[in-house]
Amino acid sequence: MNDLTEYVTLISSDDFSYVVLRSTACISPIIRRMLDPSNGFMEASTNTVHFDNINGIVLEKVCEYFYYNEKNKDAKDVADPDFPTELCLELLMAADYLDV
Amino acid sequence: MSGRRGGNTIRGPRSALTDFLAANNISAQQIRDDYQRRRQEGEEDAGEGASAQAPQQDDDEALAVAAQAEEDEKQTKKRKRNEKDAIDKIKKAKASKGGKGKKKAKRGDPDLDDDDGEEYEDEFNKKARPAPGQFEHCEVCSKRFTVTPYSKEGSDGGLLCTPCGKEFTKDLKKEQKAAQKQPVSRKRRKMESEKLDGVAAGGAKSLVQLCINRIAQHHDDVEELGDLPENLLDRLSAIFSKKRVMKSKTLPLFLRPDLDAVIVHDAAYLEEEDYQQIFAVCPNMRKLALSNTCQFKDASVDYMLERCHNLQHIQLYAANLVTEEMWHRLFQEAGSKLHTIKLKWLDAAFEDDVVAEMAECCPDLERLKLKLCRRLGEPAVEHIATMKNLKHLSLQIGNSVSNDTLIDLVTKRGSKLSTLSLDKFIDADNEVLQAIHDNCKRLSKLRFSENDTVSDAGFAALFTNWSNPPLTFVDVNSTRDVDNNNPTGPEEVIGVGSSGFKALMAHSGPALKHLDVASCRFIELSAFIDVFNGAQTYPALEYINISFCNKVDTSVTAGIFKSCPSLKQLVAFGCFDVQDVVVPRSIALIGVPRAQDAIEQFGVGIGVEEAIGRMVEVGA
Repeated sequence: MNDLTEYVTLISSDDFSYVVLRSTACISPIIRRMLDPSNGFMEASTNTVHFDNINGIVLEKVCEYFYYNEKNKDAKDVADPDFPTELCLELLMAADYLDV
Repeated sequence: MSGRRGGNTIRGPRSALTDFLAANNISAQQIRDDYQRRRQEGEEDAGEGASAQAPQQDDDEALAVAAQAEEDEKQTKKRKRNEKDAIDKIKKAKASKGGKGKKKAKRGDPDLDDDDGEEYEDEFNKKARPAPGQFEHCEVCSKRFTVTPYSKEGSDGGLLCTPCGKEFTKDLKKEQKAAQKQPVSRKRRKMESEKLDGVAAGGAKSLVQLCINRIAQHHDDVEELGDLPENLLDRLSAIFSKKRVMKSKTLPLFLRPDLDAVIVHDAAYLEEEDYQQIFAVCPNMRKLALSNTCQFKDASVDYMLERCHNLQHIQLYAANLVTEEMWHRLFQEAGSKLHTIKLKWLDAAFEDDVVAEMAECCPDLERLKLKLCRRLGEPAVEHIATMKNLKHLSLQIGNSVSNDTLIDLVTKRGSKLSTLSLDKFIDADNEVLQAIHDNCKRLSKLRFSENDTVSDAGFAALFTNWSNPPLTFVDVNSTRDVDNNNPTGPEEVIGVGSSGFKALMAHSGPALKHLDVASCRFIELSAFIDVFNGAQTYPALEYINISFCNKVDTSVTAGIFKSCPSLKQLVAFGCFDVQDVVVPRSIALIGVPRAQDAIEQFGVGIGVEEAIGRMVEVGA
């Protein structure tokens, strides 16, 4: 498997799967390293990453953030994305874990 | 009866009511005519609709007409219904009030149609506002109060008592403020503020930053912060302090028994009980960093000494209520374990002999920062010179310290020091620099700022043939001759000048991360161009401050962009020759004047080469 697939799968602790573009997921340096085939991780060969510490709802918001980030990377004065306040703390921990 | 004036004669039936209406410039006749007209129109439409439906016609046109007529009918019906609703509402409202007046008017006016009378009487027989001095019930709280000319009207038309009235206007003002559009200049200022804070102004913010902002916004609703790691906790407490919401209520969010460090960036709102709480909840802390701790008193220090036996790092800024004896006690009891002491802004107490005590009781002290402690002077420096394990020393002492003492300090401690910061020692001279040159072999951070005695030659001598490896942090801001009668400076350049700057960059260029030469206005343009010539790279340089070096111009900026691949921030306040800069990606340019929105001040998707190319075009 020399060609990298365009899409990768992110699976949450409660078994929700999210299929996203590889380029967006790799905004997180952690995920990028996990999926990098030269590191020899299992995730790289299966193009799937399991997150045992992030639940489905939070992971969904994280994926939304990935797309928001890639879309607005070179733009000026972007609006902040909307997300529910209750999710904030868990989202913060997930964001810190993913270094994003 | 009033109103029998010349121009006010009313034709037609008169009653007390019509007189009243006339006095208020309302024509009863006009209202009656309007009403009649509306009734007639309604009847006609209804009639049309009915006649259109009766004949059975297959013609499209006829159907269309019928449809149209039905529409009209519907509309009129709706209008009539609305009118009826309105009238019913008014009737209901009038049911309790003004019944008497209505009956009177009716009886006195038999000629008027019953419906007419009701309708306009309803609409215009509104209860008049009670005169000041009379009693009225508050709309909100139903309390009785005296009406004044200043009584506010509530949302339903009734009057409000004074406290409710105040609340009402406050709410109204808040709503108006929220609905107001923010002026454009506010947005620009916010952008600059974010840039200075290091938050990326271009592109998307990081998710961590967004969450932190959101939590700070809703600080009132947060109940506990769960298991956040310490670095996030620190960032959150920083934002809370910035927004001035670090108070007794929000403090417990940041206290957990397992915490190693308690850091509060702005403890201005915290009081004695809060400090007790800190030490009660986190007795195992090793690091305590409180800034603006104005309410930190002796009793709190006492409790701290009682509870916390693992303290290794104490950082107290502005703890002005702690007495002299308490400082002595603090060092006597906790001194043996301390290896970091940072104290700033102590005006009321903290004399030289406390420093002596410190030197005696804290043998393991490695980091010492004493800034803006008003009562310290030369003896303090002498005592510091005896601290054998010092690795990081940062001093700013207001009272004059002789050069000999400074030289003595550097000679004795220089060899172990990796950080030396001598801020605002105005009279320190070339000899001190010479001492640094001779004794410091492992410095990595050097600050020697706000000085107008050392010459350019002195700086050049420091950095030439120095056995110290390249520095990572250099701050020589405001080293220049200050003389209003001689703005171009003396013949022999005082402060960091061209040769000093070139020597500095030659020595430390490879490893330098942070460079600050603000206000070194005698560095010539040629020196800047030589140093930042594009060919020479400074791989680690991330932050440059060339504010108020007014010889800098756009070509220097272009050179900087080219020579510093890792650059993140370039601060250039007061450099008026820097114009039309095109900033490459991920660099924040701060402080350049005449910056309009058209000129991108933060790197937006442009590579360095392209940016420089564009600048050269513009300059040419």
